[in-house]
Amino acid sequence: MNMIVCVKQVPDPEVPPAKFRIDAKTKQVMPPEGIPPVINPFDERALELALRLKDAYGGKITVLTMGSAKSESVVKRGISMGADDGFVLSDPSFQDSDSFGTAHILAAAIQKIGNYDLILCGRQASDWDEGVVGSIIAENLSLPFIALALAIEAADKALKVKRVTTDGYQVFSVPVPAMVTVCWDVGRPRLPSGSGVIMAARKKIPVWSAADIGVDAGQVGKGAARKEAAELSRREWARKCEIIQAETPDEAGTKLAEKLREVGAF
Amino acid sequence: MERFDAIVVGGGPAGCASAYVMAKAGLNVLLFERGKFAGAKNMWGGAFFGPQLNELIPEFWKEAPVERFVTRHVLSFMAENGSTSLDFKSTRFCAAPYNGFILLRAKFDGWMAQKVEQAGAIVAAGMRVDDLLFQEGRVSGVKVGDEEFPSDIVILADGVNSLLAKKAGLRSDFLPEDMKQGVKEVIELPRETIEQRFNLVNDEGAAIEFVGTCTRGLPGGGFLYTNKNSLSLGLVIELGSLVKSKLKASDLLEEFKHHPDISRLIEGGRTVEYSAHLIPCSGLAMMPKLATGGALVTGDAAALLLGTGLILEGANFAIASGMAAAQTALEAKEKNDFSAGSLSRYEQLLKESFVLQDLNTFRGAPAFLKNRRIYELYPELAFEIFEAIFQSDGMPRKGTLQVVKEIIKRRTSMISIVSDLWKARKAI
Amino acid sequence: MSEKILIFGEVAEGKVATVTKEILTAGRELANQMGEPLSVLLIGENIEGAAKDAVSLGGDNVYVVNGPPIAKAHPDLYLAIVAEACKQLTPSIILFSHTDMGREIAPRLAARLKASVTMDCIKLSIEPNSGALLLSKPVYGGNAIAVWTSKPGTAQIATVRPRSAAPAESDPSRQGKIAPLTVSVDPSCVKGEVLETVVEEVQGIRLEDAKVVVAGGGGIGGVEGFTLLEGLAALLGGTVGVTRVPCDEGWKPLSMEIGQTGRIVSPNLYIAVGVSGAPQHMTGCSSSKLLVAINRDPDANIFREADLGVVGDYKKVLPSLIERCKSLKM
Ligand SMILES: Cc1cc2nc3c(=O)[nH]c(=O)nc-3n(C[C@H](O)[C@H](O)[C@H](O)COP(=O)(O)OP(=O)(O)OC[C@H]3O[C@@H](n4cnc5c(N)ncnc54)[C@H](O)[C@@H]3O)c2cc1C
Ligand SMILES: Cc1cc2nc3c(=O)[nH]c(=O)nc-3n(C[C@H](O)[C@H](O)[C@H](O)COP(=O)(O)OP(=O)(O)OC[C@H]3O[C@@H](n4cnc5c(N)ncnc54)[C@H](O)[C@@H]3O)c2cc1C
Ligand SMILES: Nc1ncnc2c1ncn2[C@@H]1O[C@H](COP(=O)(O)O)[C@@H](O)[C@H]1O
Repeated sequence: MNMIVCVKQVPDPEVPPAKFRIDAKTKQVMPPEGIPPVINPFDERALELALRLKDAYGGKITVLTMGSAKSESVVKRGISMGADDGFVLSDPSFQDSDSFGTAHILAAAIQKIGNYDLILCGRQASDWDEGVVGSIIAENLSLPFIALALAIEAADKALKVKRVTTDGYQVFSVPVPAMVTVCWDVGRPRLPSGSGVIMAARKKIPVWSAADIGVDAGQVGKGAARKEAAELSRREWARKCEIIQAETPDEAGTKLAEKLREVGAF
Repeated sequence: MERFDAIVVGGGPAGCASAYVMAKAGLNVLLFERGKFAGAKNMWGGAFFGPQLNELIPEFWKEAPVERFVTRHVLSFMAENGSTSLDFKSTRFCAAPYNGFILLRAKFDGWMAQKVEQAGAIVAAGMRVDDLLFQEGRVSGVKVGDEEFPSDIVILADGVNSLLAKKAGLRSDFLPEDMKQGVKEVIELPRETIEQRFNLVNDEGAAIEFVGTCTRGLPGGGFLYTNKNSLSLGLVIELGSLVKSKLKASDLLEEFKHHPDISRLIEGGRTVEYSAHLIPCSGLAMMPKLATGGALVTGDAAALLLGTGLILEGANFAIASGMAAAQTALEAKEKNDFSAGSLSRYEQLLKESFVLQDLNTFRGAPAFLKNRRIYELYPELAFEIFEAIFQSDGMPRKGTLQVVKEIIKRRTSMISIVSDLWKARKAI
Repeated sequence: MSEKILIFGEVAEGKVATVTKEILTAGRELANQMGEPLSVLLIGENIEGAAKDAVSLGGDNVYVVNGPPIAKAHPDLYLAIVAEACKQLTPSIILFSHTDMGREIAPRLAARLKASVTMDCIKLSIEPNSGALLLSKPVYGGNAIAVWTSKPGTAQIATVRPRSAAPAESDPSRQGKIAPLTVSVDPSCVKGEVLETVVEEVQGIRLEDAKVVVAGGGGIGGVEGFTLLEGLAALLGGTVGVTRVPCDEGWKPLSMEIGQTGRIVSPNLYIAVGVSGAPQHMTGCSSSKLLVAINRDPDANIFREADLGVVGDYKKVLPSLIERCKSLKM
């Protein structure tokens, strides 16, 4: 099975909240000092699902990212986990693309790579938390689309895709090639192996520009974006915490019960 | 499995320096770092002396993530009710090649690791080396999980707890008496506030060391370094006495933050990081065997660190030992001899460099620094003397010498002071 | 026909779903501010009753398409129907609930209509000067809130986070227009088929419906510790939820996870036990009315997010809390 997995480089989402900074003027999040960006954790799970399919059915995994030249690290991460190949899509005209611009760029690269059975995206990118690029690519390429896959089986020219819903799950049969986004519930992604890291370190990752994939600058970037941020602010902490003072934890528990009763919580 | 010329374990200053030298010389080098990235979990106070790194990467300050250049050193004796400080400022320190640098590990180690990669080595972060491989009684590579990575030589730069140096038979556990516990907070403050409070302009920085009540009289001290947009505030306390006293370093740090001298310096700041780390502090007395067949041990893992009491010099010693280890590896490669005998050259190189010379010069310091009078008595003495000198209470003034004599007599004996001074002269 | 604001309504068992009532509240406010009618699109079989309800809940024009009920439909078919309806109604603002169906259809519809799309909004408002629609949503795992605005002239699609508005109250005296809408879609638009749809029965109270949630985090330390939490939840008439750590550790199933990748809850009382207060978790519970934290680390972020806090080991705090609650209840 030939697969393409779209992965995005994001600021490490696990930085402690105390280190999260925004520049309200430029409406941008400031990268936390000294903490390098990482592969979007949701995409790491998409990669994991792809690797499971490769383990089961063989085939090839190509990792694709749109970003700066530095985004190479996430492609290498994918290769160190077991992917075979990867490309970085980077061009000044790509900067500040919205989801539609991003999807346009990724779709162009996917077409250039060609010969795929399955494209996988993460459930959402942990920076802007939209969760739309995968479905827009599917629309752009007129591919069958399934959201939030938990497991995939190959079944002769088609895929059996189990996807999670709020209250349970659904199983779909989808013809290939298809686009599938992957849910969190897939489970912990595998860690890279040492030999994988060595291989990835030595691998040259080609960088494709707009011209390489035939993207017209008018379709992407800030100019083509359909929306923009009017405001970006830290989530406010509206609450002021009253700490229950007590000599012992025992007493604290009792006092908390009384306080809850007092405010009518039960 | 591919055989590497050299495998380095640990992406701190020692490991990065040695990998850098070997890779630059054309060896096929693999460096393992267990942190998510180099520097992820590492900590230090942050005052760094640059000559070794300047030798390794000339004019490194032009590209390294330097927070500030140290232009102001303060030594403060903290007493219960006040403090006595020595404040040294040099305008000469704010020009290349600079004297001291203030650095944050996460950024600095990250930068070093990047240099290592640029030099051609492979940096495998997020990978912990679990064991060593042995062949014919010699170290012949490392094990990460189930994977084996053979190499001609393994450079152990895995820090103070070095499990691997123990596995290589080079050392046993360091004793609590030989270690200090370091705890530190990074406290964010606006750049302008820092410059105003510490009387700094541009990239100037202050390094302040504290001795006295901040450790409740336990051997050790406090430090405060100014970063660009934050302060590094911490304590370093002898582990043995800390354990005996049943005090917790984190509690003492909390207390330190509330000392009036400190609280006004950190006022309005926000703690964004807390970390703790051990420091091997007994110098030569605790230094393990440095080489065995197929392996060398560097930096903190080998206790190659100088603590004279005033300042901890660890990173520059780590870098120098890493460079010496790399040099040894290169020579061994030349001869294709990685036996213990061939690698004993490492110790010789260290003896020729400042590393073992300084450790030898200051070999008395660790024992001297265990003298509790330094932390309990002298800060109070200094405080009382100056208080008496400066106090204006309407009584006729006594001569300064008279004041000093009286106070000393009340608190201790002249003999013990003279003896301490004599020891100090020899030790530091 | 040109509609300004169109709501994609979900119908469950012949009734307007609660999530739709919530966007009816939000949509009604927008419609009033803009001085435009509020339209609702309903798809299903025999849903005249629901259409009437939609009017009494605030809809001005309710369009009814005869089609399969949501629970059984293939999203491709729904998408095609909605896209076709939108071509006829040409709305400039289209609102979905951020449900399975909404989160799947909204972006694909945006691609087809060349509209903008903003997912998981928690607030919709109108910029008084420009009259532009402002969409607020949590970003960066709940660390921040972004307010998005679209280029003038762009149709805008948004999904609205469940429980971010109160459900609309029914006013049977309200008048509105109910009209059937005929859309024809080519069945070949459905690629593949639904083989199976399974709704898993929830034991006890659904997290989303619970008035009291006792949430356990990594600090609980293992499966056993949850007995105390379950006791407390039972006593208070609530249920137990978890952070990611108990799921990752395999102590509890992912279906109990609260947060960005789990469930979004907003009970009257949320008691977080051994929870550090990571933004990705808090984004799923921060609209709880009363937030209580029990954590042994006084510096834990959760204490910046809670109303009431106890610093201490939960194993020592919970027993007396439960005891005292019991005696107070009697
Ligand atoms: C509180 C404090 C203040 C200090 N202040 C100063 C100061 O102001 N100036 C100064 O010069 N020095 C200072 N030091 C000392 C200095 O930090 C150390 O001497 C120096 O970092 C030693 O470098 P190293 O490379 O030997 O070890 P480390 O910096 O400890 O690096 C060891 C590396 O090895 C990695 N590692 C460990 N085990 C494994 C494994 N099994 N597999 C893979 N990787 C592994 C670790 O993650 C780490 O990155 C201070 C130390 C402390 C604790
Ligand atoms: C992309 C992404 C999405 C995520 N989505 C979610 C999500 O949807 N939901 C979610 O919950 N997380 C999510 N996370 C994970 C989240 O970032 C945190 O890692 C997680 O919420 C931490 O869980 P915790 O606070 O329970 O555990 P920990 O971080 O392990 O904290 C445990 C807490 O318990 C306290 N404690 C320990 N022992 C005791 C005791 N005996 N008594 C009292 N207190 C004690 C500790 O002081 C600590 O504060 C996501 C992360 C990422 C990167
Ligand atoms: N710049 C990008 N490069 C590669 N893939 C991306 C990029 N942006 C988004 N994606 C993919 O699209 C998914 C959803 O992203 P988003 O819609 O931005 O939340 C991600 O999980 C990725 O799989």
